[in-house]
Amino acid sequence: MADVTLSDIRKSYGALKTIHGVNLDIRDGEFVVLVGPSGCGKSTLLRMIAGLETITDGTLKIGDRRVNDLDPKDRDIAMVFQSYALYPHMTVATNMGFSLEHRGANKAEINERVNWAAGILGLTNLLDRYPRQLSGGQRQRVAMGRAIVRNPQVFLFDEPLSNLDAKLRVVMRGEIKALHRRLKTTTIYVTHDQVEAMTMADRIVVLNGGRVEQIGAPLDLYDRPANQFVAGFIGSPSMNFLTGTITEQGFQTSDVVLPLPASKGTVMGQAIVYGIRPEHFRLNDHPGRASVSAEIVLIEPMGSETQVTMRLGDTQVIGVFRERISGTTGDIINISLDIDAIHLFSGDGAIRLN
Amino acid sequence: MKAELSPRTRTALYGLMCVLLIPFVFPTWWMVTSSIKPISDIFAFPPQLIPQSYDWTTYSKVFELQPFVRQYWNSAYIAALVTVGTMVVSSMAGYAFARIRFPYANTIFMIVLLGLLIPSEVTIVPLFQMFLKAGMVNTHWPLILVPIFGAPSVFATFVMRQFFVTLPAELEEAARVDGLGRFKIFAKIALPLAKPALASVAIFTFLHSWNLFLEPIVFLSSAEMFTLPQALTQYTDAYGGPMWNIQLAAATLTALPVLIVFVIAQKQFVEGLAHTGLKG
Amino acid sequence: MAVAQENARAEGRSFSPFWTIARRDSLAGFLFIAPQLVGIIAFVLIPLGLVFWYSLHEWNVLANTFTYTGGQNYRMLIEDESLLEVLGATAIFSAGLVILNMSLALLLAVLLNQKLAGIAIFRTLFFSPVVVSLVAWTIVWGFLLQKNGGINGMLLMLGIEGPNWLREETTAMISVIVVQVFKNVGLNMILFLAALQGVPKELYEAARIDGAPAFKQFRRITLPLISPTILLTSIITIVGSLQVFAQIAVLTQGGPGLSTTVLVYYLYQQAFQFHFFGYGSTLSILLFAIVAILTFAQWQMRKRIVFYES
Ligand SMILES: Nc1ncnc2c1ncn2[C@@H]1O[C@H](COP(=O)(O)OP(=O)(O)OP(=O)(O)O)[C@@H](O)[C@H]1O
Ligand SMILES: [Mg+2]
Repeated sequence: MADVTLSDIRKSYGALKTIHGVNLDIRDGEFVVLVGPSGCGKSTLLRMIAGLETITDGTLKIGDRRVNDLDPKDRDIAMVFQSYALYPHMTVATNMGFSLEHRGANKAEINERVNWAAGILGLTNLLDRYPRQLSGGQRQRVAMGRAIVRNPQVFLFDEPLSNLDAKLRVVMRGEIKALHRRLKTTTIYVTHDQVEAMTMADRIVVLNGGRVEQIGAPLDLYDRPANQFVAGFIGSPSMNFLTGTITEQGFQTSDVVLPLPASKGTVMGQAIVYGIRPEHFRLNDHPGRASVSAEIVLIEPMGSETQVTMRLGDTQVIGVFRERISGTTGDIINISLDIDAIHLFSGDGAIRLN
Repeated sequence: MKAELSPRTRTALYGLMCVLLIPFVFPTWWMVTSSIKPISDIFAFPPQLIPQSYDWTTYSKVFELQPFVRQYWNSAYIAALVTVGTMVVSSMAGYAFARIRFPYANTIFMIVLLGLLIPSEVTIVPLFQMFLKAGMVNTHWPLILVPIFGAPSVFATFVMRQFFVTLPAELEEAARVDGLGRFKIFAKIALPLAKPALASVAIFTFLHSWNLFLEPIVFLSSAEMFTLPQALTQYTDAYGGPMWNIQLAAATLTALPVLIVFVIAQKQFVEGLAHTGLKG
Repeated sequence: MAVAQENARAEGRSFSPFWTIARRDSLAGFLFIAPQLVGIIAFVLIPLGLVFWYSLHEWNVLANTFTYTGGQNYRMLIEDESLLEVLGATAIFSAGLVILNMSLALLLAVLLNQKLAGIAIFRTLFFSPVVVSLVAWTIVWGFLLQKNGGINGMLLMLGIEGPNWLREETTAMISVIVVQVFKNVGLNMILFLAALQGVPKELYEAARIDGAPAFKQFRRITLPLISPTILLTSIITIVGSLQVFAQIAVLTQGGPGLSTTVLVYYLYQQAFQFHFFGYGSTLSILLFAIVAILTFAQWQMRKRIVFYES
């Protein structure tokens, strides 16, 4: 186990720059999730840590060692690939023991490690099978088994669950977390699924366009996103954004005025982006609370909650309510906003104002 | 197109295929049967589709008139060497072109592909002169070295490259993380997975070497050194006319073993060839 | 290099080794292609240069003279009246071979693609000549095509007096083409069969729903979809047809007259029977040019004729 330190890591393919200076300190034993939209450079970053991609500039340390120019095999890392990359011509046991075999371990040692890993992952009965004879979830486990037998300093995962169906994904999510709690190996996990990020990470790194947008614990990112991108990316359905200006009465967007939280970073007349998560709307059954009226566009009952698309001024927003709501398109409902849960961003969305 | 065929269509199709089969199958039958007929019967009228009487002495003449065992061995060992050598050379080159990033890879690949454009017939004159200077005329070296390293192996390299291109990159990356170097990745991961492509390369190469005719007659001059195709044509009478029964017996001995191997392993043969990546 | 790394690791030093991952990969790449590349240089490129060099010389083997004559061999090429006949024979041979081979291969592939019991046996039998030794195959056909051979014997039973196949100009050409087609059509047949089986069944089902009759399905769906295979096999078949030598040497020795003397056979005669190495080299250059032009032309056609590529 070891720290992983990225200092000003950059990557270009010829003239094309894809990673623009990433700084990241990962503590020993931490579970860090890299998340971001497709093409933002998550895989590239992970593969640079693995040694599968050269580092154009910057310093990468694992433990105290600068590993920029080391081969993957000398970095003491293990990686779980999206396609699992199990060797089709080897049995489960051989697949799992393969790396040990190439590190000069003897047969008894290999057997012991493979059996230990198979025991943890529930693969003991499958050791003699070939990958083609396994289900998706079993293959996934073998891929993890191959990573843990060696007891590496760092685990790297690149979207390991994206080939599984929704149910299995939830199960495996739990298993990976449990495995981490048990082994306490430093883990870097790439996904584009923010639910995976929220549920698994000790800390989340949000990437966008080859840059780090924010680093933090899942709920910190949820509660205090540093900019509009992170605010919109974390949470589902995503945060609603309204653009407008600050006036005496509050926040003005088209003909609607919304309440403003106290904030030091704003001045009168400033153009800002006003963000509110869907669950922070309330049906206005408390007279006396500041309320606005919205026009219903679409009602989607989910059973446990109701998702309502509504028009606020000239912006469509989504609200999620605990109550069951009846009504049709064009009806007007009165809603109030949870003023403590309002996020204010600068007009270009780049910085948080409150 | 794939709807169930009516019984009448079925019969018609079987009939058509049986007629079409005649020129494919009959010559082999005729070769084998004629080789055991007495010389007086081989041009008999009406033609004897099934031999009326047998004469096995023809076969002993095959071995008396020429060092046929030696020639058989020549063909066999040359074909075996060429097959194994080509598999090594072309799988390595094919792998590198498909999988390793190195400077000028594309340019070099284009140069190598030139070999497909330049049949060995084009270069036979200078090749003869080169091997003459090297003192290798009337040895088997030209028949071994040129196919393994020269133009004939380019097709094999191309087939291997097409195969390796389809191999998932993540497999190799997993192997790198597992601690394997380039050569081990090639030997332990890529090559074992390339068995179907290797099989088709082996079949192609073996048949090519086994059938080689122009090169042996250009390079070889003594009966001891001859390969089978060349030897077959040497069973001639005093006037240079073919001794048919003996030629047919020697031809049968040449053709039958490969044919038998083919029948046994026909699935690998046919499917291997269909897998050469020629599909586009 | 491993040692350097170990040292660096031991010292915890931060440095860039000379043998970076990219450099090691380049080295591995060059080592992997080295045998093939050296072979191509030694056995293809240098000979190709030499053949051009020889073609500029008059080479008398008996007198052991090798004199530069510039374009004289090429002038000879233009004035050589036999060559005209040879090129004619080559064109007829190649065209006949390719057309016959491709259409028969397609027909057989379509037949073998039917759902019939025992179809695999037919496939094996149609393919079998491919694995029969080439010269053995040619010898038995030569035997069958004799004046008093098996084919004429059977024709006679039907009351037809057959020609002396290999001794008359037209029938000799037909004979060498047919012998070669039956020998190798199995290869193209298998490639076509694989292509046919690669056509998604849904396309035929959709066409059936649209009411397209079988021949139209074949023309509008099957042919376009297998056109890449057709093109590729036709290139291979054409280039292969220009290399046919053993069949001619065994069956007709280029005769009667020059009627079956194809370019390769003529080249062989000039260089190795008459020892005109200079002129033989010039003919080699001509053969190379023809192969190159044909390949290039078909590659260009790819854009227009191939409707579909995977
Ligand atoms: N070999 C390459 N050459 C050029 N550009 C590349 C190469 N590999 C990746 N890129 C570019 O780098 C950027 C980051 O790619 P990367 O694969 O890291 O994205 P990602 O975040 O993993 O996306 P996804 O979620 O789709 O996997 C992309 O814009 C991609 O086009
Ligand atoms: Mg990715």
